[in-house]
Amino acid sequence: MSELQRFEVVADGDPEALLAAVAERAGLVAVASVAARRVFLDTPDGRLGATGTTLEIRTPVRGRKASTLLWTSVVSGDSLAAVELTVGADPPRFASDLPDASGSRRLADLIEMRALVAQAEVMSRLTTLVLLDGEGKTTVRVLLDHSTPLGRAPLPSVVELLPVRGYGREATALGELLAAQVTLRPLPLPLVDLARQALGSPAYLSSKLRLALDRNADAETAWRTVLVTLNATMTDNLEGTRTDADSEFLHDFRVAVRRTRSVLQEGVDVLAPDARDRWRGEFKWLGDITTPTRDADVHLLDLPALMATLPPERAADLSPLRDLLIDRQRRSHEQLVADLASDRYASLVEQWPDFLEGPWVETGPEANERGNLVAAQRLAKAWKRVVRDGRRIDEGSLAEALHDLRKDAKRLRYLLECFGSLLDPQQVAMAVKALKGLQDCLGEFQDTEVQAVALAGFADALLARGDVAAATLLAMGGVVEHLDDRGRTARHRFAERFATFDHPDIRRVFRRLIDIPEDTDG
Amino acid sequence: MKILATYNIKGGVGKTAAAVNLAHRAASEGHRVLVWDLDPQGAATFYFRVKPKVKGGGEALVQGRRELDRAIKGTDFDNLDLVPADFSYRNLDLLLDEAKKPLGRLGKLLAPLRGDYDYVFLDCPPSISLASEAVFRASDALIVPVVPTTLSARTFDQLEAFVADNPDVVKKLRILGFFSMVDARKRLHREQVEDLRSKWPELLSTQVPSATDVERMGVHRGPVAAFAPSSRAAKAFAALWTEITARL
Repeated sequence: MSELQRFEVVADGDPEALLAAVAERAGLVAVASVAARRVFLDTPDGRLGATGTTLEIRTPVRGRKASTLLWTSVVSGDSLAAVELTVGADPPRFASDLPDASGSRRLADLIEMRALVAQAEVMSRLTTLVLLDGEGKTTVRVLLDHSTPLGRAPLPSVVELLPVRGYGREATALGELLAAQVTLRPLPLPLVDLARQALGSPAYLSSKLRLALDRNADAETAWRTVLVTLNATMTDNLEGTRTDADSEFLHDFRVAVRRTRSVLQEGVDVLAPDARDRWRGEFKWLGDITTPTRDADVHLLDLPALMATLPPERAADLSPLRDLLIDRQRRSHEQLVADLASDRYASLVEQWPDFLEGPWVETGPEANERGNLVAAQRLAKAWKRVVRDGRRIDEGSLAEALHDLRKDAKRLRYLLECFGSLLDPQQVAMAVKALKGLQDCLGEFQDTEVQAVALAGFADALLARGDVAAATLLAMGGVVEHLDDRGRTARHRFAERFATFDHPDIRRVFRRLIDIPEDTDG
Repeated sequence: MKILATYNIKGGVGKTAAAVNLAHRAASEGHRVLVWDLDPQGAATFYFRVKPKVKGGGEALVQGRRELDRAIKGTDFDNLDLVPADFSYRNLDLLLDEAKKPLGRLGKLLAPLRGDYDYVFLDCPPSISLASEAVFRASDALIVPVVPTTLSARTFDQLEAFVADNPDVVKKLRILGFFSMVDARKRLHREQVEDLRSKWPELLSTQVPSATDVERMGVHRGPVAAFAPSSRAAKAFAALWTEITARL
């Protein structure tokens, strides 16, 4: 596919008049001009922009007021989806709200469980011009975009040359011609990014830890830096958690809490025991108050996939279960909001940053050691534990042994993610990849078991209510059977997954990371 | 990606009009659509204002020296691309005959485009030949315009007989016939429609009228809906497309 060329006009004077004169000289024919209000949408973590696409709701200022949802490739300018929205309807917020149209499914796959949030609103004058060949065929489209974010100064005028497939030469020649007559500067960003910049919009959220710790720093500095970063993630996701904007805010909030607890746990020789114990207790409490809502979110998120395991005509039988889950989620979220408004949480969010930023009068014995050495020691311990416990598991082992191993593996993963930048990044990436394969298997084994147990509990709750149809219970039984199958498959796969993780090549990776002699591994 | 061929053994029954208008309708619904004009006369190519020329001709495509992807031209309509006709397609039978596994050749050329398009329309020349058999093998369905006249109906019979006699060639192919160029003022058309419907109840119910707007496609050089969106013909093609997608 051909790529579009995007420029901003940097000439003095009226860019519209200037471009009109140039267009006339280049033989371009104006075919449409529209004034429109445009609302650009993306997920809070900017996943549409990250995949090189923009999503907007465009509403003409005059004439028919029907809005169109446009999903467009930033790279080629190709339309990926264009669908008219029902007049007066709310804009789509979740993937399930997207109109049933070509392209919607791909868009829904990208959005997943995230909400679509307005990123920028602009008023635009969009003029489309075309270059025709001798047959009267369009060989290049040119879009002139004069946009003004609400309440701000106009953005630079943008010119986009949209090549028509098979006519790349014509687009190149026109680009050169335009560039020779108007001062155009290549613009690497789509308009939504210009508008976001003009509006001073915050950066997109990210659940990935992007830490670049100083390898020469002492352990106290390294631990502090990680904890400060994790606190920022909790802060970023707090409002979305409170308002339940989408389930990922709470997910990312909880991951940051769990990582914080893990970093505190691993800081046994870095932090003073009293402080460490106190904050571990506080963050355990914070994790605990978020658990019921997250559990309810997970059940709701998994429900469509579970329904899909049933024959289509039986899927509707699970509707009472969905209603029950929605009700539980709502009630648990109300409790969470109340807990987040408690004095205990208020003092946590007030005192935790003070602790992180203030001097640590008392510390653990290794606080002044080099951070990378302390991190490597912790990593060695966690890795050896996973290897030791994993090797003990055989076909006859109890499920608890695998669940415990999952916790050990998670601890190791957090260490790699939080302190990996103190170590060899290439080896860290290989170690994480190997560990992920094992974690996926252990996760599938435990999650399917937990879900099956939860479903039994939900069945009891529905029965206690006294209005449940037998068809619903049968459908739930079908789902439990499916979960049992998946769990059994995961259990069978464990030996192979663990052997991959415990392969000499991977052991060498860990040895390089923790820098211990060949003969002392687990 | 569904491959649909507009096909009839007989010429002048509205194959190209069906290919162009149905493809335009599918694209306007947001589907990614490709039309491959296999007719050396190049009427579909003309309607889309594209030059009827493929670099290296049909030979380069059939022999695999040129990928189909590189022959594609964007039309003036969103989501709608075209592989233009080339005069060398008049020798498509000979070219296929010289190729290895000729029946699978078109499907092989289209396979790399699987992720790029939702629908491919093959606009076929009127004949029944090796090239037609290759089209049958590549396609998911044949969209067959039937003019309600004795001769046109006879060719539909011939097609059905061929399909029944050659299951190894047609494999999964579906035959979607519809009445084309229907002139409701003609008694013969009305009677034929009635007779043929009782003979072939599986025919699609939408009838495309014999309309000036379809003839004007050559003047406007575009699909009917692009210059006469409210016309009877545009509405008929829209309804026909809805019916076809429901059958696929």
